[in-house]
Amino acid sequence: MQTASLLLEIGRYYLMAGGVVAAAFLVIGIDRVEPSARGSYVFRPLLIPGICLIWPLVLYRWLKLERGEEDAR
Amino acid sequence: MSVQYTPVIWNRNKIFYDAVLLIAVALYLYVFIRVGPSYEDVSKPIDGAILRMRAFGSCAFLMLTVILCIGPLARLDRRFLPLLYNRRHFGVMTAGIAAVHANYVLTWYFNFSPTDRYVALLSSNTSYGQLLGFPFETLGIVALLILFVLAATSHDFWLSFLGAPIWKALHMSIYVAYACVVLHVALGALQGPADPIFTSVVAASVVLVSGLHFATGRMEARRERGERTAQASLEQQGWVVAGDLDEIDDDCAKVVTLAEDERVAIFKYDGKLSAITNACAHQNGPLGEGKVLWGCITCPWHGYQYNLADGRAPAPFTEKISTYRLQLIGSTILLDPNALPPGTHVDPVEIGDAA
Repeated sequence: MQTASLLLEIGRYYLMAGGVVAAAFLVIGIDRVEPSARGSYVFRPLLIPGICLIWPLVLYRWLKLERGEEDAR
Repeated sequence: MSVQYTPVIWNRNKIFYDAVLLIAVALYLYVFIRVGPSYEDVSKPIDGAILRMRAFGSCAFLMLTVILCIGPLARLDRRFLPLLYNRRHFGVMTAGIAAVHANYVLTWYFNFSPTDRYVALLSSNTSYGQLLGFPFETLGIVALLILFVLAATSHDFWLSFLGAPIWKALHMSIYVAYACVVLHVALGALQGPADPIFTSVVAASVVLVSGLHFATGRMEARRERGERTAQASLEQQGWVVAGDLDEIDDDCAKVVTLAEDERVAIFKYDGKLSAITNACAHQNGPLGEGKVLWGCITCPWHGYQYNLADGRAPAPFTEKISTYRLQLIGSTILLDPNALPPGTHVDPVEIGDAA
């Protein structure tokens, strides 16, 4: 019971952190690292679930692209 | 990619694909929920909620099975390729159907106690050390989470943003999801009263997915062996490996330097490959740096033009340059280093499947 509650609590905070990352990325980051997204706003809400689920990977890629460690796409 | 993103890319074919998919899913659910009960054992009636739960669960399982068969089928027979073009919509729909199944489970088995239903789901059975009575729900949760991640990252943006290697690796976890689903069914539904039809369907699905992947693997291994043999045979005859097809942009060339300091320009144009000497007949200009227009290469120095298939300048001009024979083995370009007499016609190599 306690383990289950703890797991769910971790999951809840994980998704909340994902929400924060999603807000930051969709407002600031996406235009900086993804040229095709510039001027496209309607599709962005579609990305929120994905960012919430894999936000550590999103942060990793965002950082990598910001540093220019990969060719501009 | 330089196009702007849209929420969902639909065209006539995709709308048709999605419509057929929706109709098939609706039909399956209708038959399972409305027609199925008339065939059930009257001594063991099933509650409506459990029936719907099984309908959506089995539907998601079958959809996942079909999804995993599309890839190998398309590799075995190109006629299945249309199924591949819109597989992501199929996947998103599967995640949705699986979520409905999970919701029925939660609102039926875990809905009538003061305990939070999610806590109850995770804590009601924790006997992970045994096979019979194993908490198979956990396997379903893992599979559902994977399906959610895959559905949520199916937009073109994700492929571009994550990069092909990471995106591909992420989406290969579909196999982990399938394994979890198979175990979820085997340790769950199949542990109940014997149902020969359902057991056969699950077994046949697993055999089909495994068999198709095995057959495709063997076919590709055979093809690769054949390609290696053909390449080795040509190399024995003195042909040289000029590089990979992907190295050459459309309407451009790759310049290969041969042993005798002779340079050959291999052009990719109109879905074909042709090779000519890199030296223009006029003043040895670098033809490989020119661009292809209408099957002709224009020398970047003084504008002399040559047909790529025969190395001849278009009439009324009479200049001729050497041509070379090429072969495409898989995606590897092989070049016969023996120059043919200037103006000799060589059929361009069709790129076809390798493109």
